Amino acid sequence: MEKIIEVKNLFKSYGDLSVLKDISFSVEKGEVLCIIGPSGSGKSTLLRCLNRLEEIQSGDIEIFGTNLTKVKNINKFREKIGMVFQLFNLFPNYNVEKNIILAPVQLGILNKHQAAEKVGELLQKVGLEEKRNVYPDTLSGGQKQRIAIARALAMNPSIMLFDEPTSALDPEMVGEVLKVMRSLAESGMTMVVVTHEMNFAREVANRVIFMADGYIVEENKPDKIFTNPDNERTQAFLSSVLKPLDS
Amino acid sequence: MNDYFSLLIECLPSLLAGLKITMIMAGASLILAFIVGLILAIFALSKIKILEIFYTAYVYIVRGIPVMIFGLFLFFGVGALLNIKFDPLLASIITLTINASAYLAEIFRGGIKAVDIGQIEAARSLGLGYFRTMALVVIPQAVKIMIPPIINQFITTLKDTSILSVISVRELTMNSQIIIARNYRPFEVYSYAAVMYLIVIVLLSILAKYVERSLQHGKNN
Ligand SMILES: Nc1ncnc2c1ncn2[C@@H]1O[C@H](COP(=O)(O)OP(=O)(O)O)[C@@H](O)[C@H]1O
Ligand SMILES: [Mg+2]
Repeated sequence: MEKIIEVKNLFKSYGDLSVLKDISFSVEKGEVLCIIGPSGSGKSTLLRCLNRLEEIQSGDIEIFGTNLTKVKNINKFREKIGMVFQLFNLFPNYNVEKNIILAPVQLGILNKHQAAEKVGELLQKVGLEEKRNVYPDTLSGGQKQRIAIARALAMNPSIMLFDEPTSALDPEMVGEVLKVMRSLAESGMTMVVVTHEMNFAREVANRVIFMADGYIVEENKPDKIFTNPDNERTQAFLSSVLKPLDS
Repeated sequence: MNDYFSLLIECLPSLLAGLKITMIMAGASLILAFIVGLILAIFALSKIKILEIFYTAYVYIVRGIPVMIFGLFLFFGVGALLNIKFDPLLASIITLTINASAYLAEIFRGGIKAVDIGQIEAARSLGLGYFRTMALVVIPQAVKIMIPPIINQFITTLKDTSILSVISVRELTMNSQIIIARNYRPFEVYSYAAVMYLIVIVLLSILAKYVERSLQHGKNN
């Protein structure tokens, strides 16, 4: 299989605080990689390094076979990497349609006519056709996040990054967002997903990475990591997050 | 009562002439201050050390000096030093421009900073560049945040024009004083002037509300 993301010996710090330590992993085309771990372990930072929202101190990140630190036109590069945020970050000054088509039209990826079509298609995909002309402040959290996914998809990305996309949602809205992500995974999208939804990770991921204190502690198939993890810390973390569900 | 209004009619031409100068002073100063303020705000956000220092110094100095002292210093002090006679209107416009520009710059800078960083990250992650992100995402949201304090500054500057009667600009306050020196009717004449200021400012506030409402959309995500 073709490696689409390859990270080697990545180090990242904020001043004296070192946040990512010797991170290495890769993602193949069409794979879904889930990253789990306690809060503050560096998951968001790692994800943000992958589209260079954060600069790294050392190591290599290769995406589509290109070294990210050597990319001259980072904007062009980011077009191919969609990102979905915990707090949605929809543009409140634009309606749903404009949120979705703003970047592709501005960047000349879609003309006005294609954009109108694309919006219809994407809204159907996330189940929100009727919301085309409303403003984000009228949407529920789950709807906002689905629109945010549609917005990222409008760029036709080859990779989608998700940073805890359901963590800010009321429990009853988590399902609708995960459903969209699931179908995206089934369609063959390459995805890196930071999540606390262990069931999602277990059922949808091809591989799971457990991070703690800036290290990758364990990387394994979901079956293995959720039933019989190699590392004690993984065990401890999983038993702490899974217990409430089982009992 | 009759007397009150007949005196008003009598004074009106002179008061209106003063009001016109007041409006010119405020209008010209605010337009110039807007431009200077924008440039200063760009300095503040430039991440270039020397420009940031300049910005900070400018804002501190201007905020720390009363308008009246600044006007007197420029008109009499600098005038004497350079041995020139400033036009009072010009000196007052310079004074008010410098004053308002510092406050407006702070409003612009604060407005941009107040836009959620997540908005910038979302725009950049879509592949939009710095300038498009600013123009399409940040500034439209910042403007909404800025409008009420900008209007406040307009009102403040409009009122500050009266302070510059001390350098004998023939604006509304100065003209009132001149009239009073002739007719000894301070109660009436100052009340006329007060009401005229009030009317202009109320109209400005109504206009501001209207603009604010027409820009209604999207407070938070
Ligand atoms: N911009 C920043 N400046 C300084 N420290 C940061 C910054 N962003 C994150 N950190 C720190 O880096 C560590 C990892 O953060 P993060 O990647 O957000 O963790 P996670 O997503 O796993 O909760 C934390 O200790 C956090 O406080
Ligand atoms: Mg995080």
